[in-house]
Amino acid sequence: MIKKNYLEKLKRTKKPFIIYKTKKGFDLYTNFSKKIILTNKNIYSFINKIKKNKSKNKNTDLYIGFFGYEILNNLVGIKLPNQKGLKFPKGIFYKPEKKIILKSKLNYKNEGLNNLSSDFKININKKSYNKIFNRFKEKIKSGKTYQIKICTKYLNKSKIDPVDFFCRLTKTNLSPESFLIKDKKFSIISCSPENLITKKGNYISTKPIAGTLKKTKKLNKIKALNFFNKNIKETKEHNMIVDMERNDLSKICKPGSVKIIKKKIVEEYKDLYHYVSLIAGKLKKHTSTLDIVKSMMPGGSVIGCPKISTLNLLNAQEKENRNIYTGSFGYIKFNGDMRFNIIIRAILNYKNYSEISVASGVVIDSNANHEFNENYIKAKALMDLYK
Amino acid sequence: MIYIIDHNDSFTHNVVHQFSSFSKVECDNFDKIDQKKINKAETIVFSPGPGAPKDYPVSSKIYKKYKGKKKIIGICLGFQQILYSEKAKIVGQNKIYHGFQSEVKVTSDNSLFKKKQKFKVGRYHSLKLKEPFNTNNFEITMRCAISNVAMAIENNKDKIYGFQFHPESFLTENGNLLIKKILSA
Repeated sequence: MIKKNYLEKLKRTKKPFIIYKTKKGFDLYTNFSKKIILTNKNIYSFINKIKKNKSKNKNTDLYIGFFGYEILNNLVGIKLPNQKGLKFPKGIFYKPEKKIILKSKLNYKNEGLNNLSSDFKININKKSYNKIFNRFKEKIKSGKTYQIKICTKYLNKSKIDPVDFFCRLTKTNLSPESFLIKDKKFSIISCSPENLITKKGNYISTKPIAGTLKKTKKLNKIKALNFFNKNIKETKEHNMIVDMERNDLSKICKPGSVKIIKKKIVEEYKDLYHYVSLIAGKLKKHTSTLDIVKSMMPGGSVIGCPKISTLNLLNAQEKENRNIYTGSFGYIKFNGDMRFNIIIRAILNYKNYSEISVASGVVIDSNANHEFNENYIKAKALMDLYK
Repeated sequence: MIYIIDHNDSFTHNVVHQFSSFSKVECDNFDKIDQKKINKAETIVFSPGPGAPKDYPVSSKIYKKYKGKKKIIGICLGFQQILYSEKAKIVGQNKIYHGFQSEVKVTSDNSLFKKKQKFKVGRYHSLKLKEPFNTNNFEITMRCAISNVAMAIENNKDKIYGFQFHPESFLTENGNLLIKKILSA
């Protein structure tokens, strides 16, 4: 039985730890014996060597951590131009020696540390957003991309207690891919709803979200489904993502094995309805962990389509590094099984700065004002934690 | 063997899986063409992809070299690639279809498919064929049921086939059947 004030005690030890949402509650990983900071040089040997670790039949036979956006681009052969930013590591993985299962409600009392913060500043104002929006719409008309996500970033100076933030976030916004990384010099707090990879044996699935609706008193699940089905723009965006994810799975799966298990259903969360599909397949023999990572990441639903051409358009446009945003957090077990999400709805706190990135999609019938506000709504849920 | 030329698209591997249920398939990106594989192939497929046919001169060259010698199939951009190589104009359209399901109808007596048949297909195209288009042995055999935009071409003499829509999309009814028919033609 885990004691009530466990998290407070753990925090006082100043040991790094990670919390990851599970179906029933949360898993906490700590006592890290190794920490690997990823570079373009070591990433291949890191990924390839995981399966060679001797399994001790422990629940800590795994590496847990994240791939940032830039290194995932590099893996698929795309170089980013020089960008501004916090110079945060491109990816970090940890080898835990201890795993603790926490129940579904996290108890934590903020012990005296005041969360200090300045106001958030946005990196792209409405006028420049409109410009980018119109430029991308032209690219859609000429067929260079069919859907592209413009990223805006909110930044402030702040000193926060990440455990307090995470616990409060799970109370207001409990999402299935939530996680917290609390390290000495940085923290990441996320309420990601989106699973990118679930791999067990030769089974692999992905569960893209395309379409979000805020809950109101008048809505229910059936009405939300009706809204999505009747909304041609949302339907088209979602269709595109389904075909793209089928494609990404097809690269590594046996021909004929890729199936849409759940087609365009609605999932209900605390404040939102999501339009979701579940696609799965059976891996080809001898598919490596690296093959899987390169085929599936960066997750298509937060980039746009087609992936390579759209990534190139985004990278030519974006002046600031996305860091963790639209990367992936999760774990790779020694037996090759894995679980990864897409890092969205996340706070990166580093060097006493917090950054929150958000994006929404441009398709041919998108409206710039609507998407700009949509971005703000997504960021606000996280910015409210600073109040 | 079927050789699929990928134009860096996010749908090509759906095409690969679809064709794999009928024959052995090899697939390379357009900037990494394997000449040995092309020589071995009975059929060459031009994949969908971003941009316009003029962005891929390599594919136009391959088309011209193998026209009449091997069966050639084009999907979406690949369809436009065939037409462009036959001197057709590929132009923008007012209404753009990305991830859109719509109905097409078979409009020709000479098609492998039954005239007047209608079915639902998935579409992802910004550009279209500018008409009139008249070239020897080519016939437009399917059209959008609403806008009349050209949706399929057949050249049964040289065994060249193209679809503006995506037979491999989950939005297309009977996509496998379409591919089976043109592969056995």
